[in-house]
Amino acid sequence: MKQQDIQHLYWRAGFGATPNQLKNLSAMDKHQVVDALFQNSSSSTPLEIDTTEIERFTVKSVYKDKSKRREFVKISNQKLKVLNTFWVNRMVTTEALLREKMTLFWANHFVCRGNNIFYVQQYNNTLRNHALGNFGDFVKAISKEATMLKYLNNKQNRKRKPNENFARELMELFTLGEGHYTEEDIKESAKAFTGYSHNFEGEFVLRKFQHDYDFKTFFGHTGRYDGDDIIDMILEQKQCARFICRKIYSYFVNDIINENRVEELATVFYKDYNIKSLMRHLFMSDWFYSEKNIGSKIKSPIDFLVGMIRTVPVEFEKPQDVIKIQKLLGQILLNPPNVAGWKGGKSWIDSNTIMLRLKLPSIILANAKISIKEKGDFEDSFETYYSKKKKNKFVTTAIDWETFETACSSFSFDDLKQQLVIPELSEGTATYVKTLSQNSKRNFCVQLMSLPEYQMC
Amino acid sequence: MDRRHFLKQSTLASSLFFVPNFVKAFENMSATGLGYKRLVIIQLAGGNDGLNTIIPFNNDVYYRNRPTIGIQKSDLIKATDELGFHSNLLPLKELYDQGYLTIINNVGYPNPNRSHFRSTDIWQTASSSNQYLQTGWIGRYLDNYGNKSYNAIEIDDSLSLALKGQNINGIATKNPRVLFRTSQDPYFKNVLKHYQDEHLSEHNLGYLYKTMIAAESSAKYIFEKHKTARNKQEYPNNAFANQLKTTSKLINSGIETKVFYSSLGGFDTHAGQLNQQSRLLKIYAEGINAFVSDLKQQGTFNDTLILTFSEFGRRVKQNAANGTDHGAANNVFIIGNQLKTPGFFNDLSSLSNLDDNGDLKYTVDFRSIYATILSSWLSIDDKSILNKSFSKLDFI
Repeated sequence: MKQQDIQHLYWRAGFGATPNQLKNLSAMDKHQVVDALFQNSSSSTPLEIDTTEIERFTVKSVYKDKSKRREFVKISNQKLKVLNTFWVNRMVTTEALLREKMTLFWANHFVCRGNNIFYVQQYNNTLRNHALGNFGDFVKAISKEATMLKYLNNKQNRKRKPNENFARELMELFTLGEGHYTEEDIKESAKAFTGYSHNFEGEFVLRKFQHDYDFKTFFGHTGRYDGDDIIDMILEQKQCARFICRKIYSYFVNDIINENRVEELATVFYKDYNIKSLMRHLFMSDWFYSEKNIGSKIKSPIDFLVGMIRTVPVEFEKPQDVIKIQKLLGQILLNPPNVAGWKGGKSWIDSNTIMLRLKLPSIILANAKISIKEKGDFEDSFETYYSKKKKNKFVTTAIDWETFETACSSFSFDDLKQQLVIPELSEGTATYVKTLSQNSKRNFCVQLMSLPEYQMC
Repeated sequence: MDRRHFLKQSTLASSLFFVPNFVKAFENMSATGLGYKRLVIIQLAGGNDGLNTIIPFNNDVYYRNRPTIGIQKSDLIKATDELGFHSNLLPLKELYDQGYLTIINNVGYPNPNRSHFRSTDIWQTASSSNQYLQTGWIGRYLDNYGNKSYNAIEIDDSLSLALKGQNINGIATKNPRVLFRTSQDPYFKNVLKHYQDEHLSEHNLGYLYKTMIAAESSAKYIFEKHKTARNKQEYPNNAFANQLKTTSKLINSGIETKVFYSSLGGFDTHAGQLNQQSRLLKIYAEGINAFVSDLKQQGTFNDTLILTFSEFGRRVKQNAANGTDHGAANNVFIIGNQLKTPGFFNDLSSLSNLDDNGDLKYTVDFRSIYATILSSWLSIDDKSILNKSFSKLDFI
């Protein structure tokens, strides 16, 4: 398989291929490369942090004693930050690239935010478990997750006083998209989800006295439906497959939608709602590798950060710094802006985020210094420029340059460029890159990562 | 400004391909269509307790619900027979006495959301509570009436949703010098020097370059403008006052910025509210006082309107930890010297006729306040920004 195609596949299905992966995969054909991708993601390893500190809390202690409750919330909030950094680390180190990329995708589809570490962790692992499974089972599992029941107020959805929030988002954001159901459908389906609740441990509980066992009329059918029945009826609409495939296309292929391709994917998906088959079809398609799709997307902040650390291993002295970077770049894991999630694409970039992104590789990898000594140029004006700057450390890191250098020891500077920068460089930029001094791969790597082109994948 | 318009402008202005001309083309466009009036928005983040800010001291229900955190009559600054200012708001009370402050009570929206994040989104996007917008109301103002990032500046390190538009975003800076220095990195400048116009036609990559050029150009403009002005007033030494100090400097420099955005956090007072809120209200009032006085001395108070809001108020009933939990409707402050109804715009809602959650019922939709400011202050079509027509209020 061509190096560029491997890199393209690995950026979309993962967080970029490391030099070693590129070396190993280039001898294989497309079939084998795609097979390996799926093979590595065939099982799901839960992401778990140490929560023993707050496991001693019980329903009674938390709900009867307000100071305990406060303590619980406080520790839970700290643990959520730990889970955030563990998740980043998982993406950096995982072999199951596709599963982790899909988990990130679904986290921005079944968008949810919560403050109970146990529920949030469980939710995150539900996303991971179902990431490549059956979409119908997935939606049903989501409808029963504690943190989702809380986030979309389904806990308040009772027979005598239905709360329609979950039913509305289920159709608008999770399965069909606006305009493919009526207000009446929302009202009726909300009844089917009445009584859906959870216990302190985060397990699903159907509160029988709050559930409406009466007839509901949904999409023209009438029956004593529960939530699962409603989801099954939604899945019967091909629109559901279309809606998901549109999102898959824009996330994994191109922001500019090709309706014919979406329809092609939807037909594959509608057959059995198997996410794995859908993704395999996508990654095996020739059009996935067409020139206009390669390097056409703007990396999300997480893609950008994780991709960089996968190339050059970095350890942050203060884990909190990883969250600080996410905040400034506009994407804090476990903390989406709203139920519609991050908009992605161009919205990642504004005047502030572009400057930070271009500066971040040098901040993290080179003490904020980008070496720009040009070939044959012995003036030290840039060096003076940098040395005049106050050493105001933004983050403290330990950088494992050896791993990077060993991995790309056989690479020429040009290979390195090919590997790190996905889109074609314009003539001017290419000329500029050629003028850069090429005596250190470290410096060259930081320079390449500081190009606007590095923001693309 | 859309890309096509941008391209047209740049090709007209420059026959060469290299950036310096290109940046120049950027500089030469003037912010036409924008009035000269300015709006300063301040968010009290965390949900400020409006009932302990402007206190209904003649209301038994208030004291019954707040046995330990209710503010006693003897400990506040009376404004009317019913309402008084928190004692740390003396500087604000002075603005009130001079006719520079309008207090709008019970501001909120239907089906209030009590999550900080969500409610902040609702206030910042001007959406309904069941609607999820991806652009902010100031961002849409930029889309429709602005053409530069610096037409709206947030005094912070990163940009809020409020200032994000579809085609153009505001810019954030806590310190114009730092922003400028970042943008002047020699490496970036070199990249830009080697960049070619023709690439702008490209989809996403072109957008990156365009944003980078705009960032460099905006940072430079903001810094240079900022250098020309000075503060004529001492400010307290805290982060909030510093934000206002920077805002004043920028305003007095004659910069083409119509909207400034900043915030003061820490109002999430679930426990031990009294001390924490007192401290914050003092910071707020003293900062505002210095700011207004600075603007007045430099003759720019006439053209500046200050809007202060919080994403929600607190529950009427105090909790067991001498604090309050998340509520709904709240008061909003409007400060300026062209107010039509200085003082209290409306009465406080009943403290006994509450919503299902035990919160104040709203009587004024916050989007009516936005609509009024957009049409009567910034003189633009509010419907095009708010996507819907809201009744106007007679406060400016």
